[in-house]
Amino acid sequence: MTTDSVPAGGDPRRLLADTRDLARKVRLDQRVTWVALLVLAGVTFLAIPFDVFGMKVDCVNNDPSGSCSFDRQGVLFFWPVALLIAYAIIALLYVRVARTRGVGARVMPYVITGAVLTVLFTVTWFVVRANLPDPPVSLDPTPGWVLFLDRLIAPWGVIGLALLVLAWLERNVALLVFTLAYLAVALVPVDFGWQMHSNIRTEFLPQQIINGTVLLLGGIGFAVARRRR
Amino acid sequence: MTAPTPASEAHPANGLDEVVHQRVRLGILTIAHEARKVEFGYLRTQLDLTAGNLSKHLSVLEAAGLVNLEKGYEGRRGRTWITLTGAGDAALAEEIGQLKQLIARVETTREDR
Repeated sequence: MTTDSVPAGGDPRRLLADTRDLARKVRLDQRVTWVALLVLAGVTFLAIPFDVFGMKVDCVNNDPSGSCSFDRQGVLFFWPVALLIAYAIIALLYVRVARTRGVGARVMPYVITGAVLTVLFTVTWFVVRANLPDPPVSLDPTPGWVLFLDRLIAPWGVIGLALLVLAWLERNVALLVFTLAYLAVALVPVDFGWQMHSNIRTEFLPQQIINGTVLLLGGIGFAVARRRR
Repeated sequence: MTAPTPASEAHPANGLDEVVHQRVRLGILTIAHEARKVEFGYLRTQLDLTAGNLSKHLSVLEAAGLVNLEKGYEGRRGRTWITLTGAGDAALAEEIGQLKQLIARVETTREDR
């Protein structure tokens, strides 16, 4: 017998491996990823009419260039409230589903991050609006980093940033890959060649439909994967 | 007579707590830690135990102050939820640390041979 004999209770390597395996199973049973994605997809689609019809458009009739200024008031009034409600619904559903499965939910850090980012985006937009020059100054072309930052603090970017936290919480590599792809679509943005320049009100419509569709497909994909488990 | 071994040089197996260092009880603590709170039936399924066997292990852990048991009802169905206490959390972390040290020590001994 050596001084390093295995203690009673089992091989320490096997005990550790069993421990990791159990922890992994619990984390799998706590995942309700599809719920989060479907709720966010729903909010994204619901926001579209608010953006289209809530947009304030001012076109100068005598301007030969036909330039118009616009203010996306609908985005500002709809998204903060809608996102906070969405995160509350996600938290509620996560807790209920996890409870049905016999485990506690691992969702609060995600919900808190989402809520904090929502407040940050709202405050930023209000500050930017308050400091915009009147009449608006045309930035043509607008620097790429400004557009990127604008998209990052917009609701669609905020959704993706919070999803990164959920992927980390759930140790969910599939969700991480999905979220990175979603962020690429929302921030680059990737419009798959679909643009609508004919009307300023519908200028942002394709990207919102694409963002919502990506979330919807992701939600369906994760739901199917869960059912197959 | 030999001088007492300093704590830093003590064999890691000496640091193992017999209450925690048992396959089923370690499993209960691990699941309760990951799940935040876990239902009796879930533990029984995951650990493949009978209700009586699981109850015995839970009693040991509860007596040691490592878990809390909360009995309640959902509809007409009785459900027991298990949560880890602060002491349980610390005991689990200690056990995992000791196991890792033990593995490292065994590997070092093998390399020395």
